[in-house]
Amino acid sequence: MPGLSFDNYQRNQFLAAKGFGTPRATSTGTTIVGCKFAGGVVIAADTRATAGSIVADKNCEKLHRLAPQIWCAGAGTAADTEMVTQLIASNLELHSLSQNRKPRVITALTMLKQHLFKYQGHLGAYLIVAGVDPTGAHLMSVQAHGSTDIGHYQSLGSGSLAAMAVLETHWKPNMTKEEAVQLCAQAIELGIWNDLGSGSNVDVCVMEVGKDAELYRNYKTPNVRESKTRSYKFPRGTTAVLKERSWQVVDEQVVATGEPMEVDA
Amino acid sequence: MADCSFGITGKDFVLLASDQSAGRSIIKMKSDENKIRTLSPGLALAFGGEPGEFTSLGKRRLMGGTSNELAKRGGESDMIKRDTNNFVDYVERNLRLYQIRNNTELLPAPASAFIRKELANSIRSRSPYAVNLLLGGYDKVHSEAHLYSIDLYGTKAILPYAAQGLGIYVALSTMDKYWYPDITRDEAVELLKKCVAEVKLRLAYQFTFNAIVIDKEGVKNLPL
Amino acid sequence: MSDPFSINGGAAVAMVGKDCIAIACDTRLGSQSLGLANNFEKVFQMGKTTFLGLTGLATDVITLREDFRLKNNLYKLREEREMEPKTLANLVSTSLYERRFGPYFVSPIVAGLGKGGQPFICGFDLIGCIDFAKDFIVSGTASDQLYGTCESLYEPNLEPEDLFETISQALLNAVDRDALSGWGAVVYVVTKEKVVRRVLRTRQD
Repeated sequence: MPGLSFDNYQRNQFLAAKGFGTPRATSTGTTIVGCKFAGGVVIAADTRATAGSIVADKNCEKLHRLAPQIWCAGAGTAADTEMVTQLIASNLELHSLSQNRKPRVITALTMLKQHLFKYQGHLGAYLIVAGVDPTGAHLMSVQAHGSTDIGHYQSLGSGSLAAMAVLETHWKPNMTKEEAVQLCAQAIELGIWNDLGSGSNVDVCVMEVGKDAELYRNYKTPNVRESKTRSYKFPRGTTAVLKERSWQVVDEQVVATGEPMEVDA
Repeated sequence: MADCSFGITGKDFVLLASDQSAGRSIIKMKSDENKIRTLSPGLALAFGGEPGEFTSLGKRRLMGGTSNELAKRGGESDMIKRDTNNFVDYVERNLRLYQIRNNTELLPAPASAFIRKELANSIRSRSPYAVNLLLGGYDKVHSEAHLYSIDLYGTKAILPYAAQGLGIYVALSTMDKYWYPDITRDEAVELLKKCVAEVKLRLAYQFTFNAIVIDKEGVKNLPL
Repeated sequence: MSDPFSINGGAAVAMVGKDCIAIACDTRLGSQSLGLANNFEKVFQMGKTTFLGLTGLATDVITLREDFRLKNNLYKLREEREMEPKTLANLVSTSLYERRFGPYFVSPIVAGLGKGGQPFICGFDLIGCIDFAKDFIVSGTASDQLYGTCESLYEPNLEPEDLFETISQALLNAVDRDALSGWGAVVYVVTKEKVVRRVLRTRQD
């Protein structure tokens, strides 16, 4: 069954026509940024996933691996960023295997934009793509409709304005790796504090020419939950039980049955 | 069209009752329509359609709209409510086909799964069947009576007693009060009569009912 | 009458304990404000220690339960082993995303013990975005309330018996504040050795 199935589309149209609204998927109100430095590129993201005004996941991963040296940060509809990224990652791997070359950032970007354009913006994926390849370090972004941008620094998502404020004030050409990581982390943190859709921690990924990409999961954790000073543990037997049934979990043992097969010596 | 049907199980029997009216909107055109169908010796269903669903096309057709004109309209309005009888025919004949092919009747549980799936698939099509039904059956293998309530979306509930259509507003509380797990057949019939009486007393709509009982002997008419 | 997710009602929750997991659901099936059935369970056993919870539009809950039962059985036949919870999670995710533009109206949760008895829980949105969690996962019409109860009552490394009390109280107190959930509850507590299924006494209003 290749491709997406539109089977339920009719049914849902019918449901919508009956007055049932269309529900919204988990979207990542997000801050993601990227920034180039001398000899590489760094991207960063916050870790909050929201469903409406509810925080669905306090420590999700918005940094996705497209290839060992090419990573991307995703904003928009969470499932779309995840799935489109997985698809392109697998196609990139096949492509690099067939071409016997390391995958390039521009290839990843082209594959992404062609895929997203095909879906006319219905796949709500907004990505910052970054990485190093034989042609150097690259930083680009792609929007849900398929348009792309290239730049020395990028920011996307609901917290992009807060993040861009930091990037615009503090970015300078030819930064060191440490400076770039600092800048990105600071930009994300501004998103975390000032944008309601962003929160929790900062994830960072550094891709340097000639080196393996490094993912710093929870590089900054400015929102550690205060541990409770008292325990809410209930005394055993608090809950009234009507019926109880239990069964053992047994490891299935392969039991040879029947006659052993005769084989030639 | 307003519908009203009931189902009551006991240890080894199921009662099904349905109103007998047919018509459109507020007009009753028939009061002796049989809306209970026997599917096999141990299986029967009472069915009703959702009133006023996707009838715009059907109405226009009555008013003289041509099929060509209708085709042009497009969009959701070209969804037609298909006759509920149509669906029940389809189910009945497929269950019969199964019996012929395998030389065995489908038991109530798998039959309910089949009917549910057909409705769940139908709701995803251009012209869904808008049919709610109560499926009653006697499982000869396990010697149990079963009652299923299945709605037009394909929502299936396994229940000891149930009502559908307008009956839910007035008869469910009666059933809640008088039904108990080992209810005898006579008591169940009495309960059914109570429900029918409640309908006559409380609903503005005038219904006439027919009923059946399903047990290990098969399906029999039940005079009310 | 606006959201397919809240026609039938229902809630489910999963929690991680010390070398164990628990997963629970209510048993109401309704049609708007009318209660249709109080025996509609939303948690299904997929393997010896693997469970799937499905809340949302009831017809889709049943359809997907059967779909995953089929896929799970085919997997067992082909692989001659049971599906890991992580594998089930990815199966659920891809199966839902397959219907990206015509989704099933469900919020699934998965809970189980993986290789070596490693506790695993996760949740999904209707198009298959996985939410991995280390503590708890909630879903259904009482999910807002469940977030509250779980966030306050949960603590890590609970023994199975304590985890049972915590998840039960979290669920019970959440569904009591949701008109569309309740009418009975079922809790599974899963350890490497055994599975315990308990039916809870609940309010009936």
